[in-house]
Amino acid sequence: MFVSLESLNPLFTSMIHYDVIIIGMGLSGLMAAKTAVEAGRKVLIIGRGTGSLCLFSNTIDLLGEFPKATTTEDGLSRWIANHPQHPYSKAGQTGINEALVSFISLFPPPYSFESIGDENCMMLTGAGTFRPTRLVPSTMLAGISTRQGKTLVVGFEGFKDFYARYVADGLGCQGITLPLPETLNQEITASALSRFMEQDSFRKEIGREVRKHINGEVRVGFPAVLGLQDPMSVKKAIEDDVGVEVFEIPTLPPSVPGRRIFNRFRTWLIQRGVTFVMGQPVTEVSLEGNRCKGVYVFHAPGSTFYSGDRIILATGRFMGGGLVADQKRIIEPIFNLPVVQPESREGWFKKMFPEDHPIHYAGIETDVSFRPVDTRGGVLIDNVWVAGTVLAHHNVIEEKSREGIELVTGYLAAKRAIER
Amino acid sequence: MEFKTEVLIIGGGATGVGISRDLALRGIPCILLEKGDFASGASGRNHGLLHSGGRYAVSDPDAARECIAENQILKHIAPHCIEQTGGLFVSLPEDGLDFQNQFVGACEQAGIPATLLSRDDALELEPRLNPALLGAVEVPDGAIDPFSLIMANVRDAEIHGARFLLHTEVLSLLVDGNTIKQVKARNRITGEESSIVASYIVNATGSWANHILTLAGLRIGMALSKGSMLITNQRLTQRVINRCRKPSDGDILVPNDTVSILGTTSVRSEALDDFEVTPEEVFLLVREGSKMVPAVEHARFIRAYAGIRPLIQPEAEGGDRTISRGFVLIDHGERDGLHNLITITGGKFITYRLMAERTSDLLCRKMGVHAACSTHIHPLPGSTEGSGMRNRLQTFSQDRGETICECELVKRETVESLLMVGKLKDFLDILHRVRLAKGTCQGAFCVYRLLGVLHDLKLSKGDSNTTLKAFLNERWKGIRPVLWGVSVREEEMIESIYKGIFNL
Repeated sequence: MFVSLESLNPLFTSMIHYDVIIIGMGLSGLMAAKTAVEAGRKVLIIGRGTGSLCLFSNTIDLLGEFPKATTTEDGLSRWIANHPQHPYSKAGQTGINEALVSFISLFPPPYSFESIGDENCMMLTGAGTFRPTRLVPSTMLAGISTRQGKTLVVGFEGFKDFYARYVADGLGCQGITLPLPETLNQEITASALSRFMEQDSFRKEIGREVRKHINGEVRVGFPAVLGLQDPMSVKKAIEDDVGVEVFEIPTLPPSVPGRRIFNRFRTWLIQRGVTFVMGQPVTEVSLEGNRCKGVYVFHAPGSTFYSGDRIILATGRFMGGGLVADQKRIIEPIFNLPVVQPESREGWFKKMFPEDHPIHYAGIETDVSFRPVDTRGGVLIDNVWVAGTVLAHHNVIEEKSREGIELVTGYLAAKRAIER
Repeated sequence: MEFKTEVLIIGGGATGVGISRDLALRGIPCILLEKGDFASGASGRNHGLLHSGGRYAVSDPDAARECIAENQILKHIAPHCIEQTGGLFVSLPEDGLDFQNQFVGACEQAGIPATLLSRDDALELEPRLNPALLGAVEVPDGAIDPFSLIMANVRDAEIHGARFLLHTEVLSLLVDGNTIKQVKARNRITGEESSIVASYIVNATGSWANHILTLAGLRIGMALSKGSMLITNQRLTQRVINRCRKPSDGDILVPNDTVSILGTTSVRSEALDDFEVTPEEVFLLVREGSKMVPAVEHARFIRAYAGIRPLIQPEAEGGDRTISRGFVLIDHGERDGLHNLITITGGKFITYRLMAERTSDLLCRKMGVHAACSTHIHPLPGSTEGSGMRNRLQTFSQDRGETICECELVKRETVESLLMVGKLKDFLDILHRVRLAKGTCQGAFCVYRLLGVLHDLKLSKGDSNTTLKAFLNERWKGIRPVLWGVSVREEEMIESIYKGIFNL
């Protein structure tokens, strides 16, 4: 598969051993790390990037496709019955609940993840539409009741990933676009705005300006840029100036709320002794018989070998690099695991954009313990478990299940791994 | 609405627009009807190749001579729409060098400057060429931006009094004896109907020629041929690359600003408004293109598109590649006894001006007017302005406004000033006139932003999410045929945004 990296680097000596090595630093990898370290294991997490977490995740979607007025529990049990191959069916109702509880426990108030009752809620989006989601960070809570009372939507001049009037016209309410102080003199991105929001003087100016436009509105919606460190204080400070409730609305990527989730996991995991190797790809794995001995991580000009007892593959889909499509086939590049996929490229995408494209169901087949299997169900590598969106038989986009699948499978893959 | 004019031109492609400019410059009043936007047919769906004539030198010497003459005229009147890249005709081992000998002689006959290059010289000029090539011939091919050229013609025609009705479709022709008395039309956006009385009517609808002629009970023999092209996300060569052999499929690679366009195919087609690039065509283009330039094999393609060539029905047997690319000008007075109808069709994009000149000459003869053509003398509006990526980068580096398209460096100001003119009724017309959605992401980010700007300016009409969905569907037609490799990653991101975050 690859030239042995040991032979390329004569100085190659390092040999660090871990109980659990996680490849992938998105939500599923982080969740797996949390689960493993809580069980007292020595954990290494390796990530080239942070997956889709810091791009698309704002709230925790579990499953959007419930019939109206169905509780999550009813909806899930029906879903599991109808989709036996789906990752949720391997997890079971109990596994799903445990994973969500574990995630929620990581976010104590003030910035916590909440739900309204025991069903999905409809969350206002940056296109003025609503999306079904299960858990909402406290900064977004007021965005799920926008059908009652008037809302003011606020955007910022020069911030091109959010348009207040677009959202407001969809809601049938007022939208304003505030000019930013000229001294900023830099490109107005979501992360730049969230830094400014943490400055008291900036917030005050925004608050004063917004207050002038309040005309019977009972809440004010901002793009989701209300600070990275302490968003609830930012929200509270603006509320004090404006006099009504403030909430956040998801924007085009990148996602500041996703970055908050990442930061919280990282701080918590590092405190508990998890080793992070960031920004480097796993270039090769060392296999012996049906066991993986460890992984090679590229550090120019050489690479480091990390040995591990258990390996969790949480590399995401195409965007994360967990799956790669050439002109004909889809492959899994790290272990070269078999990928469940349509017969030929012709079958990847349907004729119309809105259709449910078969390529999204492609991925790695596993047993109920999330170990990769061949077409006859035989376990391929004894000490490798698979988590997150790289798994087959789900479509996080259509199902609105992205964070749910990542959390649940990350939690369970790690749990099954340490049980062994 | 009722209109009265001297000449009614039907069709807003290069030919129709060219006729409007030609007549306007001669002082003859005219109105042009177009059922969609300018250049929505083959004029906007071609290679953007400024032919030297080399491609037709052996097979169609008359067409070749027309090409080289128009090539030189266009460089004079429309330098801002042209990049003088030069072109190479490369001979691969499987082609041999026999055709090259014939080719050089034919170019000489047609007056096309042609320089023989050794293998090494060709590779030095274009290092990405297949190193196995036997040799090459350099000719003055170039790249042309069809839409800019057409819009420059429109501007000049308007300055000189021509009028344009877009999204206006001909419903019927009222024939009385040997004359079309009146043309009934309808605006496809507003539904408003109008009637136009004109002394002469020019059918310049290209592939749609028989759609108009049918309304008068007439028909001409045409062979409609679909040509498909693929756009790469970067410029692969500096010059136009052709195969030095008889014209065939997948043997032209045209650099166009920051991208390259690989084409074409030739497939008989009856469908004029709804056709797609098939997987077989994509396969064929990539296979053939990579023979000339191996980098094509691993290039990232951002879009596939096709146009329908209006070819004139051959009298003798042979494939569509053997049909003359020359044009036909039909006086239906002589042919069918309908004295005030003229059809102009066939031809190539590069000869649009010549076609317009011949048509206008015929009209003048019929009207008994003595006014000479001057479209080859006067440069088009904008010809002294800068153009191309170099110019955009220069402007971009000088001003600090908001960029709404990172792929093509489109400023919010540019878009706003276009929108404030206020004549644009159709969302796709706006996209047609700016470089939004032309870059690597094909509008995935900037179209949402454009809608945001429309809301900010209080110009949005109807439900923007419906518009957004319609755009994403339209975009899909061009993207789906080339979805593999890294493009799949991009597509996953787009779906994650629009179907995911926004739940459209």
